[in-house]
Amino acid sequence: MLEVKDVTGGYTRKPVIKDLNFSIGQGELVGLIGLNGAGKSTTIKHIIGTLLPQKGEIRLNGVTLNEDIETYRSSFSYIPETPVLYDELTLKEHLELTAMAYGIDQHTLKERSGKLLEEFRMEKRLNWFPSHFSKGMKQKVMIMCAFLVKPSLYIIDEPFVGLDPLGIQSLLNQMTERKNEGASVLMSTHVLSTAEKHCDRIIFLHEGRVRAQGTMEDLRKAFNMPNATLDDLYIAMTKEQHNE
Amino acid sequence: MSNLAEVWSKRFEHYMIEVQKYMRFVFTGHLAIVIVFAIGALGFQYSQWLQVVSSNFPAEWLVAVVVGIIVAFSRPVTLLKEPDQVYLLPLEKQMPIYFRKALNWTFWSQVFLSAICYLIAIPLLNAVTELESLHIWLGLLFIIILKYINVQTEFHYRYVNRGNFIAFDRIARMAVSILAVQAILSVQFWWAFLYILLLIVYNQSLKKKVIVQPIPYEHFVKLEQNRMMAFYRFANYFTDVPHIRGAIKRRAWLDIIYKFVLFNKESTQSYLVFRTFVRTNDHFYLWVRLTAILVIVALTIDIPVVLWIVAGALSFATTIQLKYALLSSSDFRMDMLFPIKENQRKKAVQKLLRIFMIIQGMLVMLCAIGQPYFFVPAIIIIVMNELTFNLSKDPVVHV
Repeated sequence: MLEVKDVTGGYTRKPVIKDLNFSIGQGELVGLIGLNGAGKSTTIKHIIGTLLPQKGEIRLNGVTLNEDIETYRSSFSYIPETPVLYDELTLKEHLELTAMAYGIDQHTLKERSGKLLEEFRMEKRLNWFPSHFSKGMKQKVMIMCAFLVKPSLYIIDEPFVGLDPLGIQSLLNQMTERKNEGASVLMSTHVLSTAEKHCDRIIFLHEGRVRAQGTMEDLRKAFNMPNATLDDLYIAMTKEQHNE
Repeated sequence: MSNLAEVWSKRFEHYMIEVQKYMRFVFTGHLAIVIVFAIGALGFQYSQWLQVVSSNFPAEWLVAVVVGIIVAFSRPVTLLKEPDQVYLLPLEKQMPIYFRKALNWTFWSQVFLSAICYLIAIPLLNAVTELESLHIWLGLLFIIILKYINVQTEFHYRYVNRGNFIAFDRIARMAVSILAVQAILSVQFWWAFLYILLLIVYNQSLKKKVIVQPIPYEHFVKLEQNRMMAFYRFANYFTDVPHIRGAIKRRAWLDIIYKFVLFNKESTQSYLVFRTFVRTNDHFYLWVRLTAILVIVALTIDIPVVLWIVAGALSFATTIQLKYALLSSSDFRMDMLFPIKENQRKKAVQKLLRIFMIIQGMLVMLCAIGQPYFFVPAIIIIVMNELTFNLSKDPVVHV
């Protein structure tokens, strides 16, 4: 599904991420975990194509961005850490615009958006502009737009920040539902307990490199810490790095 | 710590660079030409009028009212920023050094306007009154002193009252300032002195209260933000200011325009661009303003060639400014990730401009009906739009 091979890159010539290697298979939910500045958002920006790798390549459904930009872009949807909305469009228009861009017809749009609006309790706000939304509501608009499209990969940056508990539950429901239909999810987060509970695999990112990856069992074995939580493992890893 | 003076100088330097950066665009834009013509025309009218003005004309009062109003508006320029509420808090005792510099700048940057108004009025005073030239120049000195006191007083009033009910303070100072200028121009020096004394006493009474109060950072920061925002909005008419997001209005009555856009993948950018244009005040009013100027010219000037030249120039100005406004972007937008053709946005902007320039052309044609070749301006507008759009460089998109 997604293959990140030897990717080095960053904003300037000085790389933030170095020789990154990982892949995500069909129907997998993978957590990207790391401290502030570890390179999580930079990794995501390379995958969505707003930054281009200085070295290495990223394949999504077998193609790179350069080979076939439209296929590449229609294979994923992205929920950024800070909501990015159009001040001049209402909630309804955000959904319509997304549907148009991804070639979803009006009938399907109505059907899918009806369900999403109900799930996120936003039915009554269809004609509102973003300036009247709270941070959490803006986040919900982004989530609804992403799930309106049914791509093979969801890329979600810090999804739980700013969402209320019901919103978090709704998002997890959507992710599970789409996962069961065969979609994959790459999610970066600091909420380790939720990541531990829901992710099939974890990627530890530290100082721009993958330090460890695998299932919880794999990680416990690698660190020789049976019964450890993801928090314990993560702290152990950062300490290990510190002592080196 | 004496480095608060340094903090001010650094800030002031940055502020001047920022202002200059944008003023360059303002003075090279079409406004500069309009201003030069307007000043020339008004100057001519004024000199003509001075030759026929009646000697009963209340020149002293007119000058007093205009100058009095201007001196009373003395909003302090503190250049304070939001983080100052936290970082400068421990330096509260040293802040008077900073404010002294700020008020000096406020005075020097604002005194010119009152002085220029007075200088412009000197020929009028010479024509109507029997003031000697010494008195006239004394008047100028007096106005400068008046401005200085007003700057100090407004700052102290805002400091003490956190800007509440500033209108009352201003009206009071305005009234006393008007009377003071009127007195000096009527050679009633004692009255003038009395009014000035009144302002000084008022200022001193406020100043006493300042000493026992904490600095109202919130008010001064808000004031600065509003001032800079107003400046950026103004500059935004001439160039693209990154920190400015134009205000948004629904304008439901224009929903009919969206009918030009079908619901399909190829129209994604049109869907967005049409709404962005109609609902963003900056974009929409730019078109309205330039169209209005053209309509007025078409209605009032009956020399066809002049109308043709203005139509060509303004069509160029409308197209180039809207093309840049709608195509350039310094922020990340979700449509940058859409699986659509790269040139779709450019095509969408072209389609939008075509429609709105045809509307502009039609309006001008209707207003020019009755003139020979009334249809020519419309053709010029439409052709100029096409030429400008296709031959100008595309803006670079930074993310």
